[in-house]
Formats: sequence, C-alpha cells, structure tokens
Amino acid sequence: MTRATNRPAISAEGLVKTFGKDVRALDNLSLQVQPGTVLGLLGPNGAGKTTAVNVLTTLLRPDSGHAEVAGIDVVRDPDAVRRSIGLAGQFAAVDDNLTGAENLVLVGRLNHMPGSAVRARATELLDRFELADAGGRLAKTYSGGMRRRLDLAAALVSRPPVLFLDEPTTGLDPRSRIGLWEVIEELVREGTTVLLTTQYLEEADRLAQQIAVVDHGRVIAEGTSEQLKARLGGARVEVRVADADQARALAADLDGGPFGDIGVEDDVVLVPAADGAGTVVEIVRRLDAAGITPRGLQLREPSLDDVFLALTGHAAEDVPSGGDADRGATDPVAETAGSKR
Amino acid sequence: MSAATTADALRPGGSGVAPGGGFGWAVRDTSAMAGRNLRRLMRQPEMVMFNIVSPIMFVLLFRYVFGGAIGGLQGLNYVNYLIPGIAVQTVLFSAGVTGFALAEDLQKGFIDRLRSLPMARSAVFGGRVAADTLNNAFGLIVLLLTGYAVGFRPASFLGLILAALLLLLFALAVSLGYAIIGLLVRTPEAVNAATFPIIFPLTFASSAFVPVQTMPSWLRGFATHQPVSVVINAARSLILGDSATAVQRAQLLGGTSTGSLIVQALAWSIGIGLVFGLLCARRYRRLTR
Repeated sequence: MTRATNRPAISAEGLVKTFGKDVRALDNLSLQVQPGTVLGLLGPNGAGKTTAVNVLTTLLRPDSGHAEVAGIDVVRDPDAVRRSIGLAGQFAAVDDNLTGAENLVLVGRLNHMPGSAVRARATELLDRFELADAGGRLAKTYSGGMRRRLDLAAALVSRPPVLFLDEPTTGLDPRSRIGLWEVIEELVREGTTVLLTTQYLEEADRLAQQIAVVDHGRVIAEGTSEQLKARLGGARVEVRVADADQARALAADLDGGPFGDIGVEDDVVLVPAADGAGTVVEIVRRLDAAGITPRGLQLREPSLDDVFLALTGHAAEDVPSGGDADRGATDPVAETAGSKR
Repeated sequence: MSAATTADALRPGGSGVAPGGGFGWAVRDTSAMAGRNLRRLMRQPEMVMFNIVSPIMFVLLFRYVFGGAIGGLQGLNYVNYLIPGIAVQTVLFSAGVTGFALAEDLQKGFIDRLRSLPMARSAVFGGRVAADTLNNAFGLIVLLLTGYAVGFRPASFLGLILAALLLLLFALAVSLGYAIIGLLVRTPEAVNAATFPIIFPLTFASSAFVPVQTMPSWLRGFATHQPVSVVINAARSLILGDSATAVQRAQLLGGTSTGSLIVQALAWSIGIGLVFGLLCARRYRRLTR
C-alpha cells in the first residue's frame, strides 16, 4: 500500500476548457481523489468526463485552472506526470497488427524500462489478464473483452500509482465487465489511485468510494453512493394494488400512522421506509387487516439513476449518443456531442 | 489466474521508469517506434503487394505497351529513360504510407496512448519516416531489379547509388507532406482523397514517362520545372552519366549539368521537407489544444 498522506493523488481546481467559441467542455471543474481510492466521474455523453481525463493525463491543456497528478502540475511538467500515470480509454488503443506481447513490450520500452524487465513484466501481465495463450497472436484476432484487458494491461506496464480509466467497460458483455471490475478492485487494494469515468451507475456504485456527478462540464454533486442516495430521502416501500381508487383508499388508511408522508402514483402507494424491513411488516399487517391483496410490494433503495434524474432533470442514459463513436482525446466532438471546433 | 506467480502483478510502483529526456532516449524511442512501424507494414500484405507489384506493373506497361509509341528520345534507349522516372513515381506513391499510417494511428486512439507515455515526442515522426524510408528503399530495389530484367543498364553504378539516395531524400520530404495531411484529415481514405489530385498530375505531367518536348507548350513549362521533374532529371543525369550526348542532355534533361540538377533537386527536397516538417511539429503540438 502507498503511505497514507492527506495530499490528494489527483486534484483539479477550476478547470476550464473550451473548444471553438461556444463549447465549454469543462466549466470550472474541480475534484480531488485521495490516494488509494477510486473516484467515479459519472455523467452522460458530452458531460465533460473525457475532456477532464484528457486534461489530467496531459493530452489536452486547460484554458485555465490548475491540476496536479501525483503532486505534479500537469501543465508545468507533463513528462513527469506521464511517468506516474496509466491511461486506458474507451477505445482500447492497442495496435491491431502487433501481438498482445508486442503491444506490452512496446509500451514498456517507450516507458524507458530496461529491456529484461519489460519482457518479464509483459509475461506477468499477460498471465494475470488471462491472455497468456493469446499473447503471441495479433491483437486484431482478439475479442472485445480481450482487447480491453490488453489495453488495461498496457496502461499498467510501468506500474503507475495513478490510473485513469475512461469508460473501461463500455460495450462489454456482462461477464467481461465483471472480470474488469475485479481487476480494478484488486488494483485499488494494492494501493493504486483510480479515476474512473462511466455512464453506468451500477459501475460507479460498485467501484467508487467517491462519486462526482458531472454535467455540462462541472461537478454538480459529490459524495459516496450512500450520501447521494440519501439526498432522495432513503428507501421506500412501493405497494401496487388493483387500481388508482384502491390506492387512494389505502393511502388514506395508512396516512396519519407511523409512516410519514404517503404518496400515490396511479395504482401504486409509496410509503417512506424509515424502519426498513420493519416498515414492510407493518404495511403487510395493515393490508391484511384491510383485506387487500397487493399485486406487488417491494422495498426499494433509490438508485443512482434516481439521483441522476433528480440532479440533472434528465436520466443518465437518456442523452443522444451521436458523438460517442468519435475519438476522445484529440477530438472534442466525442465529449461535446456534435459541436464543432 | 495463476495467483501464486503473479500475486503482485497489479501492485503499483517500483518498475524503474527512467526519467527519459535527452538525445539518447529520443534515439531509443525512435528505434522502438520504427521497429513497430516496420512490423506493422510487413503484416499488411496489401501494403507489401502494392510496394512490389505496382512498380513491376508500371515498368512492364511502359516498357512494352506504351514504350513503342513514345518519341522524341534523341536516340536514347527508352528503358534507360524510363526507369529513373518510375523510380521517382514509386517513392512518390509509397511515401503515402506515412500519411495513411499516421491517420490510422490517430483515428484508432493509438497516438493518444503514445502521448500519455513519457516518450520523446519526436519519435512519433522519427520512427514513422525511418520505417517508411526503409520501405521506400525496398520498393526501389524491387524496381531496379525489374528494370534490369527488362534491359535497363545504368552507365554509372556510383551514379545509380547517388540517384537512389537522392530519391530517398525526396521521398522523405514528400512523406512529411503526406504526414501533415494525415494529421489533418485523420482517416487513411481521406488522406488518399486529399493527396491523389496533387500527386497524380505531379507524377504524370512530368518528365517521368515521356520527354516534355512532346507535350503542348502550355504544359511544357510546368512539366520541366516542377519538383518531380527536377528530381527525375537529376536522377536520370546521374544514372546516364557520360553516356548521354549533348543533344540528349539539352532535350531530355533540361539542358543543365548534373551538378546543377543535383543542387536544384536537393533544394526542392530540403525545402519541401522543412516546410512540411515544421507544419507537422506545429500540428502535433496543437493536438493538446
């Protein structure tokens, strides 16, 4: 593990990045990531996530603001930053016409690692990423999941203390996704600091200790997954009955009891579950007494989707994804949804 | 996963990444990139085929199909006139690899990976033109052997070597031209579309295949003095050496001495290389904006 210090491994202060005249890809974005933790940067396409990663990994210069990675200023000493970071993007930037092993060796050499160490490291990573058998094959023969694993392995060749993962599982099948999650979790256990961008709320929920919700180039909310959900007032019980009339009757019956404010949406009655499962038991008792057999009953924690919707007024994946296929770093179109430079 | 042997595969720190910087690292990075680029080239059979088949086809086409109809040669054997022309055409076309490959690397995000590494910036271009120059040299050798098989006989072996070096220098300059297009348009197809209308007239409205004296007067001035013709004439003059008669020199080689042609060809090559090289460096830096 890295030694525990209070100095953040990644910090950004008031980053601004504009493309052309009207596109403010980053609009005063600030964030901090503590060493050995994962920050999830959550937001829809075009929110500024990739631009933020590109500034922090020295691929783009900010117009203004200040950022440090591993204590190094990204604008003043980009080369030193590059020695401390690994970057795996959403496009798996591996060379199709090199083998898996050759890809890793090339990255090692360009990281200026000694020749013998590079080969050993490549073998070790191929092993770890279950690519040992495929290591001698051209990367263009790899499946999508294998390419992502190779891309992540390439980002790890130099054992960087700080890792940037830009939508690492976008487009992967569930099994590959879970495999990558496990690797990321192990990296963090071993002391790596990770900044992860994602559109998948489930992914941020599982991997990130801290989540920063990004929209229109700035952080609009920050906290743990629990803190963000708590903003919506915690869990509630949803009781689905025969029709809206019955729902209103049931709500009236429950109102004034120990539950707090009861809501009705069509044929569903919404009851705050301050007491968790205890609330469920109490509701079931009341239903039984009233002779109502519900069509459905569930205790529901608010999801990050609910959080996102409440914060931004639109759902996380409800945004046109036209720019999604474009390249991230050198092409602002990817993050600014169709706008021109 | 073999957890026993790779238990610390994911542990950060301690890989011994060297600080880098300095000329020594730039050379090492360039050679790493050149090795990667050559490996890629060799694994793209269509590229290799293009490199081998295209010069052979052009030699056969002009030697046996069009050759008989080409006049104004002042008694010079056409195959000896032709081969230096096709040599320039060969490197002009195969220099396109530089632009295609850079555009592809940019498009696929590979350049971004490189830019996130502590490598020398210059190695991206250095490794590219080093590999492409070797590729060009290979194409030239194929062409010269084909030419020999159909009767090409250089008068001076030293002249032939010097001519080949001159062509490679010119090709390097043209490579950088393709490179800037590649950085700007970002797809191999677009590089092709953007460069074809420039490269095609420069190649064919030149002294490469027919004496410019046979062209209409409005075209002749351009065809005589444009850089491709100047380089072809310099190469031809070196290869023909003393075997060329005064009339042949005046009519077929722009009427100037070998030395003067070489100076002109070098000036064009270095000028084109410098302009495009600086544009490339500037464009590459601007990727961070």
